[in-house]
Amino acid sequence: MTFILSSLQWLTDPAHWQGPDGIPIRLAQHVQLSAESVAIGALIALPIGIGLGHFGRFGNLAINISNVGRAVPSFAILVIAFQLFGLGDAPIILALTALAIPPMVTNSYVALREVDADMKEAARGMGYRELAQLFRVELPLAVPLIMAGIRTSAVQVVATATLAAIVAGGGLGRYIIDGFATQIYTEVFAGALLVALLALTTELVLSALERVLVPRGLRSLKAPASRRATPFKTA
Amino acid sequence: MIRKSGSTWVLAALTALVMAAVACGGTTPPGTTSKGTITVGGFAFPESSILAQIYGEALAHDGYTINYKLNLGSREVVAPALKSGQIDLYPGYAATDLEYYNNKAGEATGDAVATTAKLNSHLQSLGLVALTPSQAVDQNAFAVTKATQAKYNLTKLSDLAPIANQLTMGAGPECPTRPYCIPGLEKTYGIKFKAFKALDTDGPLTRAAFANGTIQVGLVFSSDGDLNQLGLVVLQDDKQLEAADNVVPIMRQTVATDNVKKVLDNIDAKLTTADLVTMNAQVSLRHQDADAVARAYLQQHNYFT
Repeated sequence: MTFILSSLQWLTDPAHWQGPDGIPIRLAQHVQLSAESVAIGALIALPIGIGLGHFGRFGNLAINISNVGRAVPSFAILVIAFQLFGLGDAPIILALTALAIPPMVTNSYVALREVDADMKEAARGMGYRELAQLFRVELPLAVPLIMAGIRTSAVQVVATATLAAIVAGGGLGRYIIDGFATQIYTEVFAGALLVALLALTTELVLSALERVLVPRGLRSLKAPASRRATPFKTA
Repeated sequence: MIRKSGSTWVLAALTALVMAAVACGGTTPPGTTSKGTITVGGFAFPESSILAQIYGEALAHDGYTINYKLNLGSREVVAPALKSGQIDLYPGYAATDLEYYNNKAGEATGDAVATTAKLNSHLQSLGLVALTPSQAVDQNAFAVTKATQAKYNLTKLSDLAPIANQLTMGAGPECPTRPYCIPGLEKTYGIKFKAFKALDTDGPLTRAAFANGTIQVGLVFSSDGDLNQLGLVVLQDDKQLEAADNVVPIMRQTVATDNVKKVLDNIDAKLTTADLVTMNAQVSLRHQDADAVARAYLQQHNYFT
């Protein structure tokens, strides 16, 4: 109990909120590393997942290959990439991107596969071409699942970005590594607490974003009948 | 049946190994009667094996029968082995050994002679003795790249004080809190760096940070074998901030005859840190055997003539 209290004291000490070692800078570094990795991961994973889901081919292959990213420990990727790229952000972003890709590939593939076949047929019947059908019908319907994939990736990446400190990178992991080296375990615990808080915040922010992105029509299906934007007409 | 013959094979192989080890254990010089048998021990790192075999080969050349017990482990294994007589001699390091035998009383200083004298005061009652320390040291040291050295004309740590505010220093994350590191540099030398980068203690991160210019000054160990290859230069600790980890033979008093002392002192009088760096490089980078490296060193320095 005293340990937890002294960790909280560490967090509220104004000295830990300023300078190049302060919480704001470390937090910004952590968010930057995580955001870059998730963004690069999304640029790779989403086109693959969405494309394969749309055409309904090679899905298992893509999911299995991207799952290798889940199976290889991020720590190992980090150390190997450090040998290749040396000091800097590149090894960290590589390791985190590899971690970010699998959930996004899997979820976006499944999201596109799950789009109701009747909807696609209706789109075709109304004269939509392939791309129009994908962008105006399938993708909007797939948003909830795709966003769930991005959310899973982002939370994992935020928690794992802690590893950056092992190869002399920045971020909140510094408190864990530095606290361990100097045997100040309240600092270690405070660092872990900060990472956990950031991961939870990420989850909440992305959930809010998901709610904004989901098309109104789809949202209204979940809402109570009285608050539906377009009430179903009973013929 | 197959399994049984398998284990017989293993047993036979082990027996052969043990017999080979026993056969190799003693080296008696050709054509002389032995002046006595000395067992030389060593820590479980290459430099210790090299030093042990330099001492051992020199004593063997002088007519002693030498047994080696190398790679025994840490000081927690080697020192008790010396006390109990399982080994007679090991290559020690003045400050670290002092702090071991005095139970970390913090008596070690940057003065090798004073530190060794203190060490001997603790060894006396144990029936042990430390000989004259060599000038060769394996201790914390601060290195710069050759380019930095040339740019600011640096040779010793005092030279850093006026220009340190332009340099970034890298070491393990604990450095800003340890007296031998940043606080010591500040107190003893008045050195204040522009920034500190948390890396590792003399590991791959420090090397990578030197390579890409993230740091200009870094903590290394003075006898690291890769210093030359990396183009790193150790700055002389001219105000003796670091505890004096000079190489010094620590041995049992009964074995430390005048003749043995003479042979070992003769080696330690000439051994330098640069020699350690060269020999460590031969073992850890070029994968030569420690005994061959030790013999080559003795040959080059005319101990065999």
